[in-house]
Amino acid sequence: MSEQRAPAAFADRAGAALRDRFLQEALTIATTKFIGLRAESFAGFPAGSALRDRARAIKEATLQRLDVHLGQLADNVERLGGHVHWADTAGDAREIVLRLCRDRGVRMAVKSKSMATEEIDLNEALEHAGVTPVETDLGEYIIQLAHERPSHIIAPAIHKTKGQVAELISAVAKEPLAADAEVLTAAARVQLRQKFLEADMGITGANFAVAETGTVVLVTNEGNGRMVTSLPRIHVAVMGIEKVIPSMSDLVVFLAILARSATGQKLSSYTTLVRGPRQPGELEGPDEFHLILMDNGRAKQIAGSLREALYCLRCGACLNVCPVYRQIGGHAYGHTYPGPIGILLTAMLEGTGSVKDLAHASTLCGACKDVCPVRIDIPRMLVDLRRQIDTEHLAPAGERMVFRAARRLLSSPAAFSSAARLGRVLQRPFIRGGKLAKLPLMFARWTSSRDLPPVAARTFRERWKDLR
Amino acid sequence: MATRAEFLERIRREVERGGRSFEAEAAPRPPRPADAAEAVRRQMAERWPQALERFRDEFEKVAGVFHRVATAAEVPGVIAAIAGERSVREVLAWDRDNLGIDLLPELTSAGIGLAVAPPGGGEAPRLRHRAQAASAGIGVTGVDWVLAETGTLIVVSGGGRPRSTSLLPATHVAVFDRRRLLESLEQVGLVLEALHADPARTMSGAMINFITGPSRTADIELTLTRGVHGPKEVHAVFVDELVGPDGAV
Repeated sequence: MSEQRAPAAFADRAGAALRDRFLQEALTIATTKFIGLRAESFAGFPAGSALRDRARAIKEATLQRLDVHLGQLADNVERLGGHVHWADTAGDAREIVLRLCRDRGVRMAVKSKSMATEEIDLNEALEHAGVTPVETDLGEYIIQLAHERPSHIIAPAIHKTKGQVAELISAVAKEPLAADAEVLTAAARVQLRQKFLEADMGITGANFAVAETGTVVLVTNEGNGRMVTSLPRIHVAVMGIEKVIPSMSDLVVFLAILARSATGQKLSSYTTLVRGPRQPGELEGPDEFHLILMDNGRAKQIAGSLREALYCLRCGACLNVCPVYRQIGGHAYGHTYPGPIGILLTAMLEGTGSVKDLAHASTLCGACKDVCPVRIDIPRMLVDLRRQIDTEHLAPAGERMVFRAARRLLSSPAAFSSAARLGRVLQRPFIRGGKLAKLPLMFARWTSSRDLPPVAARTFRERWKDLR
Repeated sequence: MATRAEFLERIRREVERGGRSFEAEAAPRPPRPADAAEAVRRQMAERWPQALERFRDEFEKVAGVFHRVATAAEVPGVIAAIAGERSVREVLAWDRDNLGIDLLPELTSAGIGLAVAPPGGGEAPRLRHRAQAASAGIGVTGVDWVLAETGTLIVVSGGGRPRSTSLLPATHVAVFDRRRLLESLEQVGLVLEALHADPARTMSGAMINFITGPSRTADIELTLTRGVHGPKEVHAVFVDELVGPDGAV
């Protein structure tokens, strides 16, 4: 059944993650720590709740005039001497960067952490074109050396041990380094400082872009965002169109809640506001500034069922609280954006068919919605996706059959009672240690990674009759 | 590949298709940004002592080192002392007009070299300054606004105030007086609105940095480590008397 091969891949990835003991421990420590830091930060910030409402309203208002704000942003960037490029697809965005590299003889590009460039697989494209991309966020640098992908939006290398990191950074240093965060960070500082000074191009994403002033805003803790926008002769920023906000008054609302949601800091170490290239009279800064405005499936959600996912700030708070993410980590999701919001973003970017298994990788507990700084209703959209997967016949036939049967049973008390009686008899050969751990036929997939409780000897409904 | 017109037209159609299904508004804007910024200035002329206390508290929470001196004349001594403790031989600084202090005599007599940002731009001065910035142990800057509620130094780039002074050296020292103090992010929004609305000042710098403590990372097993790319240490020197140019930027 080829139809079931793809879904099985997610189960395999999740299974591998569950068996990885270091990953399990690292995930528990990291997510628990982030949850605590966030909670503590908002507990001491009574204005937080109202600011979250306001931030959400700003995102909603901006989307309702998105064309106007993007036009204004482009006008201002151009007025300041920058160039604006329009990318409908990931392929367009890649091609724009590659053309700039070719035309300007770029051999090395330093990158600050950017999910947008992960989304378009930019590093691979640059390498094929003979340009060396260097990730400069320490976590991203580590996973680039390991030829891996980020496993968390804001802590991309939480799945690596310091021993593994020591091997990677020692190989670059050509000397053995101690497995100590301080030593390894100092070594990476030296390695990357040289790259910042040598690179021809700096590539960034954008946390926000302020339409009225033509400003791209980057939030980092390490300072690499400042380096790549100050030192190389060309700065290219790649941003999704939903990152635009109207004004500086709006920006400060987001800044007040972003770092608190991500790491519990009041502000990250550096918030960098960049406008165009180096201005007259300035000593430093790039000769050229290019802003790539990328759609890649976003615009059609302005009026679509995933609209709210366009509000996302990429803070990672929903990952940390998600009982599924906490067990399987980011890689098991198998796409650029992990976690609850990642499922929605994957559906947005790659189509509903790409999440027919992931849409079920949620308990719908609602913890993600509670911590989201802009209160995105993730569970509602996950349910919508599940419905869509069913009505569009994207789910495997067996799964659809089970759900159709379940719908009939659950909507008829009589059918439910007879099914319970029937199930009590049929389940007998499959009970192991008080559980249904392995069922045949179309139930096999469901129980391959889950245990079901057997139908009770006397069901609640049967006992209820006596109790009354 | 789409042209701007095609791209925006498609978005406009989607916006229309979505309809204005619900009411939503962006943040309220000051109708006259310059007046709003002036009102903030007047408020802070009264309230700066509380803001300074709050700043100190928050700045120290993010591992900043706070100093306070009575006069501008004492500042070079503070910098020489910081250099001495760290065996720093080269100091980098904004130019004298932007910093408001001449560091040269005191640092020279302490045997410490000083590289001052050249006025204006140009390829040769840029490369020369970059080499100096890369080898200096301390970078000395002014500050345009000091945000108390988060312990943040806000610095605008421009002529005589390069981007890298607060970035490349391992120690950043920022010097400011009471006119720079702000209490809240909301006030920062107002002064930024005013800065960008003023055509005389709006082109003065392409980069504004909010600096909240030293460069940090926790990317290796969540161990907090300072100075990954930017400074390992940030010092804020508050001067009781006025120092540096009158307005911000």
